[in-house]
Amino acid sequence: MVALAAGLLVVAPLVGRWLPAGEADVGPTELLEQTRAAVDEPWSGTVETEGTLQLPDADRFGGVAALFGERTTLRAWWRDPEHWRVDRLLTTGETDIRRNGDTTLEWSFERAEATYSRDPAIRLPRPADLVPPVLAERLLRGVSDADVSPLPTRRLAGESAAGLRVRPPSDLSSIGRVDIWTGQDSHLPLLVEVYATGQATPSFTSSLTDVSTEPPTDDVLAFEPTARTDVSVDDVLDIADAANQYAPVRPPATAAGLDLGPASDGAVGVYGEGTAQLIAIPLRDREADALRTQMAITPGVEQDTERTVVSVGPLGVLLTGGDGDGGWLLAGTLTRDALERAGRDVVAGFVFVDEAR
Amino acid sequence: MIHAELSKLLRNRRTWGTIAIIDALPTLVAVLLAMTDLGPRPGTGPAFLSAVLTDGTLFPLAALAMVLPLFLPIAVALVAGEAVAGEAQQGTLRYLLIRPVGRTRLLVAKLVAVMAFVVVTVLVVAVTSYVVGVLLLGDQTVTVTGPTTSISGSPMSTPELVGRTGLAFAYAMLCMLGVAAVALFLSTVARSPLGAAMGAMTLLVASTLLLTLDAAQALHPYLLTRHWLAFVDLFRDPIRWDEVVRGVLVQGAYVVVFLGAAWASFTTKDITD
Amino acid sequence: MSATPTSATADDVRRVIRTDALTKRFGRVTAVDAVALDVREGDVYGFLGANGSGKTTTVRMLLGLVLATSGDIEVLGEPMPGSARAVLPRVGALVEGPGTYPHLSGRANLALLDATGADGPRRTRTRRIDEALERVGLASVDGRPARAYSLGMRQRLGLAAALLRRPDLLVLDEPTNGLDPQGIHEIRTLLLELNREGTTVFLSSHLLAEIEQMCTRVGVLDGGRLVLQDQMDALRGPTGRTEVRTPDLEEARRLLATMPDLEVESTVDEHEGGRLLVRGAEPADLNARLVEAGVRVTLLSPERRHLEDVVLAATTSGTDRFGRAGASA
Repeated sequence: MVALAAGLLVVAPLVGRWLPAGEADVGPTELLEQTRAAVDEPWSGTVETEGTLQLPDADRFGGVAALFGERTTLRAWWRDPEHWRVDRLLTTGETDIRRNGDTTLEWSFERAEATYSRDPAIRLPRPADLVPPVLAERLLRGVSDADVSPLPTRRLAGESAAGLRVRPPSDLSSIGRVDIWTGQDSHLPLLVEVYATGQATPSFTSSLTDVSTEPPTDDVLAFEPTARTDVSVDDVLDIADAANQYAPVRPPATAAGLDLGPASDGAVGVYGEGTAQLIAIPLRDREADALRTQMAITPGVEQDTERTVVSVGPLGVLLTGGDGDGGWLLAGTLTRDALERAGRDVVAGFVFVDEAR
Repeated sequence: MIHAELSKLLRNRRTWGTIAIIDALPTLVAVLLAMTDLGPRPGTGPAFLSAVLTDGTLFPLAALAMVLPLFLPIAVALVAGEAVAGEAQQGTLRYLLIRPVGRTRLLVAKLVAVMAFVVVTVLVVAVTSYVVGVLLLGDQTVTVTGPTTSISGSPMSTPELVGRTGLAFAYAMLCMLGVAAVALFLSTVARSPLGAAMGAMTLLVASTLLLTLDAAQALHPYLLTRHWLAFVDLFRDPIRWDEVVRGVLVQGAYVVVFLGAAWASFTTKDITD
Repeated sequence: MSATPTSATADDVRRVIRTDALTKRFGRVTAVDAVALDVREGDVYGFLGANGSGKTTTVRMLLGLVLATSGDIEVLGEPMPGSARAVLPRVGALVEGPGTYPHLSGRANLALLDATGADGPRRTRTRRIDEALERVGLASVDGRPARAYSLGMRQRLGLAAALLRRPDLLVLDEPTNGLDPQGIHEIRTLLLELNREGTTVFLSSHLLAEIEQMCTRVGVLDGGRLVLQDQMDALRGPTGRTEVRTPDLEEARRLLATMPDLEVESTVDEHEGGRLLVRGAEPADLNARLVEAGVRVTLLSPERRHLEDVVLAATTSGTDRFGRAGASA
């Protein structure tokens, strides 16, 4: 009797997964539309992201390496792309980002700091960019019906989810494929898996482990600092924002054949879209050197006097120049060749602007 | 019978020694923090430890986060491991059984005694850490003027803080019930109390180790220690219940399985010690 | 000692312990093999067996500590271990040495035991404990923790625990273990006193002398089998021979040889003079005939068996396995 009870208890957690997934009742075209539109839909839930990408970990980029190289648990409340809250849960506390119209608030429990900022045009990736609806929408930019094929349905977060396999339309992309499963009830992407070319296991996954489509209430989204909280306002969000605002350079209009995107309004260039995207950030010598040192000890690094380059899964990182120089940091999902070509294009094509700016 | 077990537990000097040792750790940490004012770097160290520098009323939680992963479960494993095997080794088990004390009743009494130990220990830790926390730590002006800050940054009124702290301690006690069930089962099987305690500790260490291993992902939902630190979730805003609920279910499953096994093993056992 | 006739049937006396085909196997080893114990009310029952013969296992089965592989047990007229709740409160036991909480005093040990299932109201607990300690000679015991006790003191404490209640049945496994001769004597006196007051005593021991001195009934266990079980009087009953001791050994022998109805087995003990064993004689008649013929008789009595001889005859294997009084376990 005891053995029977034990057996039942061991099996219990598995039962949810064994429930059969229903047949997909939408075609790939409709599913693609649904998945894209999800970013504007309200939802809340728990997100697990898991990255296996061991990026060079330099101080000013610290958060990014953790984002792509670790398992993180996020709790998110999403009303629309301008009103949301994403908490990164840690066993020792949490760091939250809340977006309310044009202001962004970052809260760190352990530092007891709340920092307000405007959302700049150019910034480094942050946890809120990796929740499945946002990530899916970004990866699906430039993807047409011809690039997708259906996958068998799966049971995810308690509902049947229809799958789409996306092949990058651009052959510059280092991404082999992206598999996205979208819930048939919630119409939200529940699981996004990004595979590097030729890889059988995903380099990065983001999944909604439980989800509700109720719009989040104001009191969840609002932030009310207490007397103990250090409140400050930040003009410059991160290193990309700083470079974009203050570096006296302008990137060239194309790199490796990709056009400069509309978001680029300063020194930082963003090229391409969707699965083939590249960001080019000008770095001063001190910042560039610190990063170069970190890159030099990353497995698979290639370094000469012209540039330092390393590929981690589908992500390529290239830093132009040699020891003691400033340089352009190029990072994106481009093949090694395209990345090297883009590096040469940027170095050859950037211009200095008036110092008075 | 329960009365006899409790008096046995409370009259044992070792019980109080163990509680004193467990209680000494957070007290020492509070003194060190008060002297140096150095909190752990973000992302390291036990939960709440950086927050107590500004708010001493959170120190009971920091203390809980300190003793819950290691000190408390080891003490519980020792006490519960001794429950049956210790009596057997002293030769008192057979005399209890021929009083007669029913085997099931003895097992229940032992479990109650172990849980009494947990409750007393946790309460002692809570009270002392609150006292040292308020006396030694925190910015007094802030403490009296404003509500406490939740993990998510929102204000938490005093009744709310007390309620959530109570829940957290209750949750910790439930987690220890899981350990107690395992150790009690081993205590009915093992020949020596130390063997039973070591067995339970091995499970704890293995569970903690496997949790850090991504390759063991498939096992994670079954691990005893998986959700222990989820009491932290009670201080987020809104409260994140799912980990806590899962934790309760896992501990419940451990309690059912291992108490069942303990009962099955003990009631059919030949007492030959 | 009261002598119950060997021929008495089950209906006449109440059975305090009765087992039927009691068997215990540990894996492949048969520790106790089809034992049929029969202990009657008022007995001082000696359960004799070498170490490892299955005595302790049997005792544990009687008390419900070890569960029998097969067979039935009845203690005080009720099945065990099924009616343990009703039976065990009427039983006091000492099994394989006493068990004490080492950090508590003797008195606290007894109080704790009493609290686990009171033998009386709580307010009389102190008195009951005092009485029990008094009976076993520990009345003046102080507050030292039990770990400081000698083996003998601990043995007495264990006995006191068994006597906390006024048991109808005392089951004692090697109760004199660790006691000095004086202590052994005291315990023996105590047990006989309790027996007179109506307590049936089941005494398991490997010491033949101990059993022979105290018991009214004996069961002998050998290799897990009950090879012998009878009243002590019956076991030590007359052999049918008459023992004659005389200084005039040759004359006596000659005279007896002339009597065709007698059979003489004679041995000569050099220190005490002659000794003759005569089969088929009626002692009084034999005495008359010898004296009439002028043979001096020092002693003439019906010969009785010795327990030792009976036990040795019943147990098949080695004789050295039975210790004599004083031999260590």
